[in-house]
Amino acid sequence: MVALVIVSTFVVLLLGILVAGLLRSHADILRSLHELGVGVGDPSAAPVAAPVTLTTPASSPALGAAPAVAGVTPTGDARAVAVDNSDDLTLLGFLSSGCTGCAGFWAALQDPGLLQLPDRTRVVIVTKGPDREVPSEVRSRTTGRVPVVMSTDAWVDYQVPGSPFFVLVDGATGHKVGQGVASQVGQLAELVRRAEHDRSSAGGGRGRGEAPLAGPAREAATDDVLAKAGILPGDPSLYPRTFDDVFPHARSVPAE
Amino acid sequence: MATIGAHGITARLPSGFEGRIFVRPASVGVTYPVGQFATFPIPDDLGDFGSGAVTLMGPSDVFATLFEYGPESLGTALFARPGRPTAFAETDFSPMTLRRGIPGQSGTQWFFTESGRPFSFYAVLGSHAQRPTLVPRVNTLLSSLTLSPAAVADLPAARPQWN
Repeated sequence: MVALVIVSTFVVLLLGILVAGLLRSHADILRSLHELGVGVGDPSAAPVAAPVTLTTPASSPALGAAPAVAGVTPTGDARAVAVDNSDDLTLLGFLSSGCTGCAGFWAALQDPGLLQLPDRTRVVIVTKGPDREVPSEVRSRTTGRVPVVMSTDAWVDYQVPGSPFFVLVDGATGHKVGQGVASQVGQLAELVRRAEHDRSSAGGGRGRGEAPLAGPAREAATDDVLAKAGILPGDPSLYPRTFDDVFPHARSVPAE
Repeated sequence: MATIGAHGITARLPSGFEGRIFVRPASVGVTYPVGQFATFPIPDDLGDFGSGAVTLMGPSDVFATLFEYGPESLGTALFARPGRPTAFAETDFSPMTLRRGIPGQSGTQWFFTESGRPFSFYAVLGSHAQRPTLVPRVNTLLSSLTLSPAAVADLPAARPQWN
């Protein structure tokens, strides 16, 4: 009888430990889901700061190539965004309409002044496709200031674990230079600036030329180029009188 | 290679191209589908024929617009050509064929009817001097387009909506 009690007690203790372990594991999963913005339970709870991983080009050579993002817009039009056709950085923000952690990013990503991203940083918001999202919900969050593409394929291509999730792409190479989760807008902007700084320091990007000059700087640069070519103020070539003076090899308009 | 499609227009975009196919909201009257394709980032607030975009082009860039006209254009002399051109020659591009004349650039515009729909295809080269390289890119884009007959179910007004 004593032996039976001892065995029963041992079994109960063992089962208790197993149950406690399962509960703890379940809590960890729920916490992680909350941090990714797809949690269930108390939606009013403030999101816990999530780990941010926007690595630099030098430290992340294996992030790989970034594919184009193609899908539909919340209004039912079609949209494809190439991330390798300029020297700019492209920040892809993978957001959901129902994720509590995304609310601040919906507003910030569509207001460049608020986010204060580096110049020549293009922002694109990517949600899942109409098969997983309600277009009217997404439409209600868009302002039309940045492209919003609904594409489940893009989430698969970029292996997005949940929202909000961000990928930074160097347009000059077409490769990802950072990706990860951010819980606050300020964190995201700072990490993009850091990635841009690291890229500039490493001499990367800008394969298609520096940012275009404007105003007096552009005028001075043009004068300098012309002077080096021997074209000084008053040169006849600066004052074309016929179309052929401008386009000496131009052909006539096609007949058709 | 990304593929996009809407409003009876499908494009298998060549590498480096991006694009959009949309119907501009009409404040008055009816609007029809427009496809815009480019080898550089397309701003969201550009005109149908590229105003706001062609000034951003580099010399190695290409911009193209496929613009559908209303059914009243069907059967007119301007749209008498059956189907789009098979391919463009370098001589089809001229600095005189630009909606907005920008030194160095050149363009071409063709009107045709395909799948019972009247279209114009307008393409701009970032550099007329580089047309031996750029015209083949336009031709690749042109051949990637599929134009389907207009379906009633695809018209914006016919999309299912809640009242």
